[in-house]
Amino acid sequence: MQEKIIFKKEIPKLVKELTKEYVFYAPKNVKGNIEYKRVNNSKDIELEFLNSKVPPKEIVFPRMETMFTYTRNGKNIEIQKPKKVEDKNIIFGIRPCDAHSFVLLEHFFNFGEFKDDLFLNKRKNTILMGIGCNTPRNTCFCTSLEGHPFKKDDMDIFMVDLDDRYVVSPISDTGKEIIEGLSWLVDAKEEDLEKAIELSKKAESMISTTLEIQDSYDFLDSQFSDPIWKEISETCMGCGSCSFLCPTCTCFDVIDEEDQYNNRGRRMRIWDTCQFCLYSLHTSGHNPRDSSIERCRNRILHKFSYYPTNYNLIGCVGCGRCIQLCPVNNDLRVILKKLNEIQKKEEKTIVA
Amino acid sequence: MNEVITEKAQKEDWEPKIIAFLCNWCSYAGADLAGVSRIQYPSNIRIVRVPCSGRLNPFFIIRSLVDGWDGVLVSGCHPGDCHYISGNLVARRRFAILNDLLEFFGIEPGRVNFMWASAAEGERFAVLVRKTTEIVKKLGPNEKFKKQW
Amino acid sequence: MVDIKNENQKIEEKMRNVARDLLKEKKVDLIIGYSEGTLPLASAPVFIRDEQEVNKLVWNNSCYVNLAKYLIPNIRENINGEFVDLKVGIISKGCVARSIIHLLVEHQINKENIIIIGINCNGILDRRRIEKDIGAHEITETEVSGDYLIVKGNKFEKKFKFEDYMNELCKHCKIRAPPISDSLKDNIVGECQEVDSLEDPFEDIIDFEKKSADEKWAFMNEVLKDCTRCYACREACPLCYCNLCFVDQNLPTWFGKTSEISDILIFHMVRGLHLAGRCVECGACSSVCPMGIDLSLINRKINQIVKDRFDFVSGLSLEKLSPMMTYKMNDKQEFMLEEN
Repeated sequence: MQEKIIFKKEIPKLVKELTKEYVFYAPKNVKGNIEYKRVNNSKDIELEFLNSKVPPKEIVFPRMETMFTYTRNGKNIEIQKPKKVEDKNIIFGIRPCDAHSFVLLEHFFNFGEFKDDLFLNKRKNTILMGIGCNTPRNTCFCTSLEGHPFKKDDMDIFMVDLDDRYVVSPISDTGKEIIEGLSWLVDAKEEDLEKAIELSKKAESMISTTLEIQDSYDFLDSQFSDPIWKEISETCMGCGSCSFLCPTCTCFDVIDEEDQYNNRGRRMRIWDTCQFCLYSLHTSGHNPRDSSIERCRNRILHKFSYYPTNYNLIGCVGCGRCIQLCPVNNDLRVILKKLNEIQKKEEKTIVA
Repeated sequence: MNEVITEKAQKEDWEPKIIAFLCNWCSYAGADLAGVSRIQYPSNIRIVRVPCSGRLNPFFIIRSLVDGWDGVLVSGCHPGDCHYISGNLVARRRFAILNDLLEFFGIEPGRVNFMWASAAEGERFAVLVRKTTEIVKKLGPNEKFKKQW
Repeated sequence: MVDIKNENQKIEEKMRNVARDLLKEKKVDLIIGYSEGTLPLASAPVFIRDEQEVNKLVWNNSCYVNLAKYLIPNIRENINGEFVDLKVGIISKGCVARSIIHLLVEHQINKENIIIIGINCNGILDRRRIEKDIGAHEITETEVSGDYLIVKGNKFEKKFKFEDYMNELCKHCKIRAPPISDSLKDNIVGECQEVDSLEDPFEDIIDFEKKSADEKWAFMNEVLKDCTRCYACREACPLCYCNLCFVDQNLPTWFGKTSEISDILIFHMVRGLHLAGRCVECGACSSVCPMGIDLSLINRKINQIVKDRFDFVSGLSLEKLSPMMTYKMNDKQEFMLEEN
């Protein structure tokens, strides 16, 4: 299907039409932080942004979600499952790295016989209408992970920002349907497409971090007790900022809340992180991950070793949020370089 | 608790529900004396007996507000009379800080009240309970911590 | 004329000299300080064990982490099969030294294992606020010139007046170097200052309290709405060292852990309550918040309560106990209900 053009001054019209059928999420400036929030008015959309603070995983995997509610009737408990939400969502302005994170989230929530309906219902009703990154950040490293600032494969509709207009490319069937429905869009001209390719090359050259990411860091399993982990984790405070705002982190805690005066309660799931020391505390009192050494090691291995082993995918999208947010500036890029050096030493010893 | 009050919020006959933590040795005995002497005091308060006002973790007070109680009353022995010598003295400092902090966050002054009442002061107990009920009634229902059930 | 760059260089030089001497004379096994970050406006805490590494220590105005956090649990190492408590030298701004003093008052660390390397802090920049003001542009470089911070990026340059863009708590700070007292003179090297009494008019608090109850509630809701319950503030605070935090208790479960506004408010209120008489206003909690929430108002209020009621400022002397550890017969009780 032919690429189309949306002029930025036509965005209000686009929002008006799409909000008839879809819940429209777009980047919004919330007290200085960019977050993907539901918008009904195009005035609330912030189009000038690098990337959002909170990743859009929040829309399909909310910070807190009711799993079910219950009411007590004497000794009986009646459980009410939450109503299936039939809303169809569009996430407008999602970046390629975050779009790729949705692929990783799906692998986690849809693994063999373990299908998480709460997530999958939302995911299958969510359409990604993303924008390529004209100005990647210094901390972006998607290109080292088979990503690209203009990667469109994981999206339904992909757009390129040409200053006063967007080049719109429908990618998936759902994307094509939506674009066909917006019959007032004009076709893109040859020069528009050429400009888009130019911007793509420019963006790629702007990515200043190149890391040699191994296919898998399995070798590290044998280096479980290597002193490198102490060095890496020495200053980590276990604050959890990295995992809470990581687009691929999925850990959650399940809590029960009771309203004893009204004989009702609910079971909720909330975001959790392996960086909390209570995360792996057994009821016996034993904690296999008692110090920051084990917890930092777990996070790195989970993304770069266990994920490739289980899903054949690296569990990181290179968005750089953890680097921006870490209060002690524990830089993932520095950590990966150190780990690569260990592997090189390993190889040398094996060869010798 | 939350829903029931919302409906009645605007009605004239809304009665606040106040939870009262009374120390076993002085205040609870004082309340008992009021009862035995047939001194009338409002039935809005629901009494919880604790061994000493020093037992009171500020969490009890905050949790009561979160659960939807319209008012909280805490009563202990007069300073110097504590059965455990200094329980009420440590409690007094905790209450002072909690009171100031609650007011700072925007909880209306008067929702949480503290008093001393000894075992012989049945009349005083009744007077202060009447006073608390009046204050809380004027403030209206407590809806600040309502959850989105 | 204020020249922050010059001040920083002097602080850095003095700090490195003291650290080098301590390591050379083997008075400490380990020095904890700040090193250059990999991003502009960031700094990374660093552990140094060798005098060759002393040049890694830096002082820039992004040193917002409270290093006293690393003292708990005790830093121990396995030396020849035995676990030994290390002697630690800590680069201390005034607030960091105050947290160390308060931890000593609460018997959480051993005096013999600590040496406070005092520096005269000239203020910490509010990184999140600067980033929010810059907006959708990448910061590539920062520079201090005179009393301005110059932020540069791709095709832009912006100047920020240093004293306006400091952390809120740094603006009220009166103890920029470690407070010296007789009982500590063997444990402090480098800069320090005498502190007899601290006058703080708390004008910002008095102003805030003029609002009505509903206005205060709305304001607090607005400020704390973005909290993601990541607990970075709790982890960054050296005085939040409980093995089991009250939010994690579940027999009984006191308060909710969700990110609903009522749960968020309770967490911050109760954490403030637990820090009454202990908070040293270092600002680390606000600096590490990923959402950039400013907790300074709550911190200042609890300190104002403690100063007004008990005439106490935390972290100044080893002798004075925190007001929540003691009581007096004649404590003020004007808030009590009375019959008249």
